[in-house]
Amino acid sequence: MDRNQSHRQVATMKQSLFDQGYLDHEQFNQLEELQDDANPNFVEEVVTLYYRDSARLVHSIEQALEKSPIDFNKLDSYMHQFRGSSSSIGAKKVKAECSLFREYCRAGNGEGCMRTFQQVKKEYTALRKKLETFFQLARQAGPVDRARRPK
Amino acid sequence: MNLVLRFQTRPLSIGRSSAFITSSEQQPTTPQQFKGLKIVLADDDNVNRTVTKKLLEKLGCEVTAVASGFECLSTLSSENSVRVVILDLQMPEMDGFEVASRIRKFRSRNWPFIIALTASAEDNIWERCLQLGMNGVIRKPVLLQGMAEELRRVLQVAG
Repeated sequence: MDRNQSHRQVATMKQSLFDQGYLDHEQFNQLEELQDDANPNFVEEVVTLYYRDSARLVHSIEQALEKSPIDFNKLDSYMHQFRGSSSSIGAKKVKAECSLFREYCRAGNGEGCMRTFQQVKKEYTALRKKLETFFQLARQAGPVDRARRPK
Repeated sequence: MNLVLRFQTRPLSIGRSSAFITSSEQQPTTPQQFKGLKIVLADDDNVNRTVTKKLLEKLGCEVTAVASGFECLSTLSSENSVRVVILDLQMPEMDGFEVASRIRKFRSRNWPFIIALTASAEDNIWERCLQLGMNGVIRKPVLLQGMAEELRRVLQVAG
């Protein structure tokens, strides 16, 4: 497969992630804009950092949900942080589920929180798989010639 | 001029800049336009801090990135040439409001400038920040254009 084809594959996958709502195009493109010769893998590094850091948050939230009574303030605080970093990498569906979670939190609805958190985890995991594939493709395609990068 | 109007009511960057500014008004973000500008960035979230720092560096800034209000204050006490502090409002232990209060207790309103970073959509965030002596607010998640515009606005006010 020649380079142009590989790059087109990457671009197509990225577009489909935008179209399917997994990624916010503005935010994700912003991350790509920050990639340069000095940091050619910036996006992948940030995403890796996100999944590493947020694993701790996910665990904390799970523990907090198991307590009785539930400390909704603590939950909201964890989720605020989780939503924030999800938003930074453009994780659109994850962010949306986080927002929903916070509404249940503020309403003191434990059941709602637990249900929504299952959704959060589902989207979070699904996105990770998609991004792993995306980065694999991107690495295979090699660095993009910025002058020729399609808009 | 639009710029003046916005300045009188709210800062340009409340909300995402791309949603408020039409393309004809957008000034191009030239690389290194804030070359050498010394900034302390305080954000406890590793991902956000990493991304915001890179963004500021892309604009040419010299960034010291710290993870807490305490580290922010101690960096400022040992470095006099920091021109702007960019501060996440929602940090555990010591939030951005507290950090700003402490900075303004000992320093004038124009040195360093303080710009708040917040994910909050509350209307009165800008007023609260203003009362504490902050100079600007940027809504998270941060975009390059929004950051550049708010920096430009805050620095221009000083003359």
